[in-house]
Amino acid sequence: MKTLTSRPAKRWMAAAAALTIGTLALAGCGRTDGGGAAGPEAGAAIDDAPATGTVEIWAMGNEGEVLKELAAAFEEENPEATIDVTAVPWDGAHDRIATAIAGGEVPDVSMLGTTWVGEFAATGAFEPTPDGLVDESSFFEGSWGTTVVDDVAYGVPWYVDTRVLFYRTDMAEAAGLEPPATWDEYKTFAQAMKDQGATSGVSLPPGGFDSWQYVLPLVWQQGGDILADDGETFTFDSPEWQEAFAFYASFFEEGLAERVRLEGGEIEQKFISGAAGSFYSGPFHVSLLRDQGGPEFEDKFAVAMVPGEDSRTSFTGGGNLAVFNDTDNRDAAWKFVRWLSQPETQIEWYGISADLPSVQAAFEDPIFADDPYLSVFAEQLADSKAPPAIPTWAQVSAVIDQQLEAVTRGDTSVQDALASLQQQAESIGTGQ
Amino acid sequence: MVALTAAPAERKPRPPREAARGSRRQNRMTLIAWGFAAPFVILFLVFLAGPIVGSLAMSFTDFTTRDLQTPFNVNVVGLENYINLFQDPRFLRSLLNTFVFVVAGVPLTMGIALVVALALDKGIDRFRTVFRVGFYAPVVTSIVAIAIVWRFILQPDGLLNGFLSLFGIQGPSWLQDPAWALPSLVFMAVWRNLGTLMVIFLAGLQSVPKEHHEAAMVDGANVFQRFTNITIPALRPTLLFAAVITSIGFLQFFEEPYVMTQGGPLDATLSSAMYTFDQFGFGNYAFASASSYVLFLAIVLLALIQFRLLGRKQD
Repeated sequence: MKTLTSRPAKRWMAAAAALTIGTLALAGCGRTDGGGAAGPEAGAAIDDAPATGTVEIWAMGNEGEVLKELAAAFEEENPEATIDVTAVPWDGAHDRIATAIAGGEVPDVSMLGTTWVGEFAATGAFEPTPDGLVDESSFFEGSWGTTVVDDVAYGVPWYVDTRVLFYRTDMAEAAGLEPPATWDEYKTFAQAMKDQGATSGVSLPPGGFDSWQYVLPLVWQQGGDILADDGETFTFDSPEWQEAFAFYASFFEEGLAERVRLEGGEIEQKFISGAAGSFYSGPFHVSLLRDQGGPEFEDKFAVAMVPGEDSRTSFTGGGNLAVFNDTDNRDAAWKFVRWLSQPETQIEWYGISADLPSVQAAFEDPIFADDPYLSVFAEQLADSKAPPAIPTWAQVSAVIDQQLEAVTRGDTSVQDALASLQQQAESIGTGQ
Repeated sequence: MVALTAAPAERKPRPPREAARGSRRQNRMTLIAWGFAAPFVILFLVFLAGPIVGSLAMSFTDFTTRDLQTPFNVNVVGLENYINLFQDPRFLRSLLNTFVFVVAGVPLTMGIALVVALALDKGIDRFRTVFRVGFYAPVVTSIVAIAIVWRFILQPDGLLNGFLSLFGIQGPSWLQDPAWALPSLVFMAVWRNLGTLMVIFLAGLQSVPKEHHEAAMVDGANVFQRFTNITIPALRPTLLFAAVITSIGFLQFFEEPYVMTQGGPLDATLSSAMYTFDQFGFGNYAFASASSYVLFLAIVLLALIQFRLLGRKQD
């Protein structure tokens, strides 16, 4: 104890800390039942008059970079309106929205990953979609479902994304096989691809981030789901999940898929070289494969609807648009959102961003109907589903990833993994 | 304690009026001093102390995403978050991983950095600058670029396995094998952090007095004896500093698993910082704060231990 000055300083710090904790403890007592947020209330209907004023919109990734082009057309139709696009990188987007909500500094509109809606809607930051703004039935059912939290829709689906089976046509032809429609055919198909020289008949991730997107459709295909009909009880202990996990793991056990997780950039090379006979992915991979494979590869691959059991359901994701409660320009914000979800706008948007339209009518356009790849995506979208929009989904899905990996790597049995998954999911809860 | 009691006795008694004037002037001086210090003090309180104390307080509540708009509308749950943390096998696993990473990584980094520094200080004369730049380059390279290069090296048919196959060894899939993923990342982190310590050690080595070495040589000490009895003791403060900063850095082990493995396979590379990051991502802010304070305590503890072990003996 050579320095005495540190003593009062320490005491002062301790006092400050105690005071802050004390204030917080006193102020922070009692949570209201509604999760701290005011109950959702749909605002007044939106009229058809031209939009005025400035609308600030956040968009992520590629969408953020090219949305300006599309917004120019809206500004032309509504001369008194200005669209202010802020590009947000995907990496930081989730946290940035959370920070904006906490600080009350939100934009008027934001694009959202479909799986974030549940989490952010629970904060009470979004305005429910006004009645009559859009026709719910014009969207793909699975996509509309991503906006609905507790029977209230927040915003509208903007673009969609679904998984289909990419396969090597040359290898399938050599084996004399059509793309698989059932689980049995799927196994035979993967085996045949392997016989044709592929190290992985089908490339599947053995676990890790977002591998739940591969196993969940297997559950849906048998008529199972994540939540029971009451929307609150997890059903990971159901026979459909057992079957799905066992079927998924069997590809690794039988050597039809390598226990290697391919990151973006690796899968294309494996597929082009023939080391991977097939894989699941979204629409963006079509142009990626065309670019990387060159002209001679163009007729060596095709896409097909995912194989199924009772149904051929696939996973759907994409981007939604939501309007914040704190918007300064509510009417114009909703008008812009409405305009973005018109079939004509969405077709134009496809030309700019290559994002698939969320409105079914847009697919009747020859751009989609006559394209051998896009028509498959359109067909698959009609039978695709999204996970429930519950605030805790990110956390629950991470547990699925972990347990799936434990099974595919032979660390635990399907039964134990699902029991643990069910128990962990129950302790996390639906957050509602 | 002696200083305090002795001080007033030494002070000469002053006439009362002069004392009053003096203390008034002193008060003014104090105020002015605080005025000058105010910009820092205010910034410190608002942007450093505030959030730190706030997050500590938050770790005793059940704050999640739903409370973003109403931060004071939370329940105080006491130590519940901390209890839940230590009941979560994944958190315990992350502590173990972090521990292994530090215990393996810190001595390895320090050892290799010391060898490299010695070589650059004494052995290598030609191209010295080239080597210095080479060893320091990983420190200033972006982790994203490093990740891409290292993926090429470590992937199943990558450079490392290609090299091993020259000797007939079939290497594992380094990053996807639960047994090899953590050692691979330790190796990568050692490579990445080598440069900083090398520079520090080089500076340290140059401050070792030449006379001592000469004197020892006259006494017939060989190279090894001179190293252990002269260089190492002279480097003691440098070693302590290096150990403390490397340990702090390694305890916060995050970037490598974040860009290379996302904590996988089977949580083999899940570090405590990565676990905290995941929990923040899930919106469990209170729980994540609790876990970051556990990590904070671990860092403080380790630093204290190092000061005890490597600090000056006479203290």
